[in-house]
Amino acid sequence: MTRVYVGMSGGVDSSVTAALLVEQGYDVTGVYMKNWSQDLPGLKCPWADDLADAKRVAVQLGIDFKVFDFEQQYRDKVVQYMIDEYKLGRTPNPDIMCNQEVKFKLFLDTALEDGADMIATGHYARVDHGEPVRATPQNRVFPIGIGDGGNDFEEQHAHAHLLLAADEAKDQTYFLYRVTGEALQKTLFPLGDYAKAQVRDMARTRGLWTATKKESMGVCFVGQVGMRDFLAQYVQSQPGDIVDTTTNKAIGRHDGAIFYTLGQRHGLEVGGGLPYYVVGKNMDKNEVYVSQNMNDGAMWKNELTLTGLHWINKPAANGEPLRARLRHRGKLLPASLSGATLQLVEPERAAAAGQSAVLYRGNECLGGGIVA
Amino acid sequence: MQSAPITYLDHAAATPVANFVVAAMQPYLTDQFYNPSSPYAPAIRVRHDYETAKAEIAAVLGVKPDELVMTAGATESINLIITSVSGHVVTSSIEHQAVLAAAATHEHTFVQPDANGSINPESITQALRPDTVLVSIALANNELGTIQSLKDIAMALEAERERRRIAHEPMPLYFHTDASQCAGLLDLHVSRLGVDALTLNAGKVYGPKQVGLLWAANYVRLQPVVVGGGQERGIRSGTENVAGTIGFAKALTVADQHRKAEAARLHQLRDTLRARLEQAFPWAVISGNPKKQLPNFLHISFPGLDAERLLFALETMGVLVATGSACAANKGTRSHVLTAIGMPPEVADGSLRISLGKLTDQAAVDRAADCIISVVRAESQRVGNL
Repeated sequence: MTRVYVGMSGGVDSSVTAALLVEQGYDVTGVYMKNWSQDLPGLKCPWADDLADAKRVAVQLGIDFKVFDFEQQYRDKVVQYMIDEYKLGRTPNPDIMCNQEVKFKLFLDTALEDGADMIATGHYARVDHGEPVRATPQNRVFPIGIGDGGNDFEEQHAHAHLLLAADEAKDQTYFLYRVTGEALQKTLFPLGDYAKAQVRDMARTRGLWTATKKESMGVCFVGQVGMRDFLAQYVQSQPGDIVDTTTNKAIGRHDGAIFYTLGQRHGLEVGGGLPYYVVGKNMDKNEVYVSQNMNDGAMWKNELTLTGLHWINKPAANGEPLRARLRHRGKLLPASLSGATLQLVEPERAAAAGQSAVLYRGNECLGGGIVA
Repeated sequence: MQSAPITYLDHAAATPVANFVVAAMQPYLTDQFYNPSSPYAPAIRVRHDYETAKAEIAAVLGVKPDELVMTAGATESINLIITSVSGHVVTSSIEHQAVLAAAATHEHTFVQPDANGSINPESITQALRPDTVLVSIALANNELGTIQSLKDIAMALEAERERRRIAHEPMPLYFHTDASQCAGLLDLHVSRLGVDALTLNAGKVYGPKQVGLLWAANYVRLQPVVVGGGQERGIRSGTENVAGTIGFAKALTVADQHRKAEAARLHQLRDTLRARLEQAFPWAVISGNPKKQLPNFLHISFPGLDAERLLFALETMGVLVATGSACAANKGTRSHVLTAIGMPPEVADGSLRISLGKLTDQAAVDRAADCIISVVRAESQRVGNL
């Protein structure tokens, strides 16, 4: 019987994931990944409650339950990355980093070491495992965690393909584009074929404790205080000018350029008339540039330079017609890649530096890169 | 989700407010809402009723009503007595978090209990220093139910006071106890306990939550934590919790009147439950002091099993128990009490605290025993323990 370790967060999605796998006849172990436990002043990440909820569901399902403590690694790989990126004036995506470094690397490795054959999570995405790979001495141990992706792997290894979720409104492939094909080979996404409403129904009909639990929003360790207050604990910021690019005049003050992101409209505290949008910033001068012109050239682009390109399996060909997604649940935009330059057929509201552009061929998520 | 009828076996955590207590409180939440400090007749009547309630509580403790300070629960009461003193504080390592945290703000010594959770008076004597001003030991431990020999500790303290008198050392030495777990089960008369200060909590004796008291003998000088309008002789400012105090008085006096019969009833039910579990699981570990234990407490450990899993499985059957003290369980950490009595981790992690009370009858005990036996069997099989 295939042993599957399911990442259980204490939410409804991962609860149903575990339930479905049990019903499908897998030997299932629930795992709570302890990623963050710092209590922020006056608030805290409700990890203890989430852990209890996950465990409660595991007991309901009669499966084993373990806690993997990844606190230190999460702090190093995800939290520190996020803070460093903000310091450089970029807008990082910690969820993508968490999937790359923690869930589909650390969790996978730890689970395999612990005796698992595969892992599963409650992501809304699908994996095409292709032809079953026969375990041979050559392919039994995947060198996960070596190199920056699966690009240097021998061609004959059949790798799994990442596909859009059946529920396109819930599709989470945007967050998954930096995982590797060989990690996906060992991964199950049982929710990929279902709509969110169906998942809630399945939780309810099975009487799962978490059936009515509220959706968690945003990054756990940031969610409750907000990004600004969270960052303020870790970075020194100086007040500076907010400059209107049409008049080139300072029209207000900000409390640190790092807190602002391209396209942002709210929280500028420059009052009156039409809303202002952030159209750029200069970290050295500590200036934030704004405009009332929604059509400002800085905000609409049909060319983006990508760095840190990552391919789940093989890279896309130069000029091949693709679809690109610049934000989670964003539209799939006709595009093509030439070298590290992403060409969009139609200009699109630009993504901030540090955000990801994720590339698709049909329904398949091929990989992507980080906006320079 | 919860369709099974509830069998509540966690009276040490909270008790339901008795109907007659709700009825006694009700007028003071509605018609008789007046501020007891106001000068007009209806308010003066409310003040009178409030004072009468305090006098009823005082009678149970055998103290003067004006020696009572009403607080918002036991934690505040404990903080009030411990922050009032300056000097070295002696307590035990198995006290409630409120005592440990408040004592930690002073120079302090935590004495160790024996494996049953009993505090040896000799170990208190050894911990005393010339500057020790306060000793605080709970009348019964809130996790094991072990009853402490306060009288013996009081005698040990009296010897130290005598030494100080002869040596002309002016440092006072007070003895405080938190008796929150014991109302309605044990005699709370302070002269028989031998203490100078005592904490009680309405929420554990079928009264409302966030209502408690500190009794301190008139020679103990209290320093207010909450200052303001000067209520409670200036020791605890804030408009009096009239309804809460009246509810507390009603709950405590009724519980104390029926104390002996109720203690005997619970004792018998607890022994029945223990016998059934012991018979089913001879390998289970029962903790506490069999000779001196609260009649409603059963602390049982299933080595190798995960108590939290047992709790969740029992919960789906409507049987509600605790895994160690509630605070420890919430933080996902091992109970400091079980660690202090030297319980090995694999035993501690399989520990249930079962506490009986008014909601417990023979049928409840039978049902609880059936459910616990089936859940422990299933879990044992799952982990290959049997």
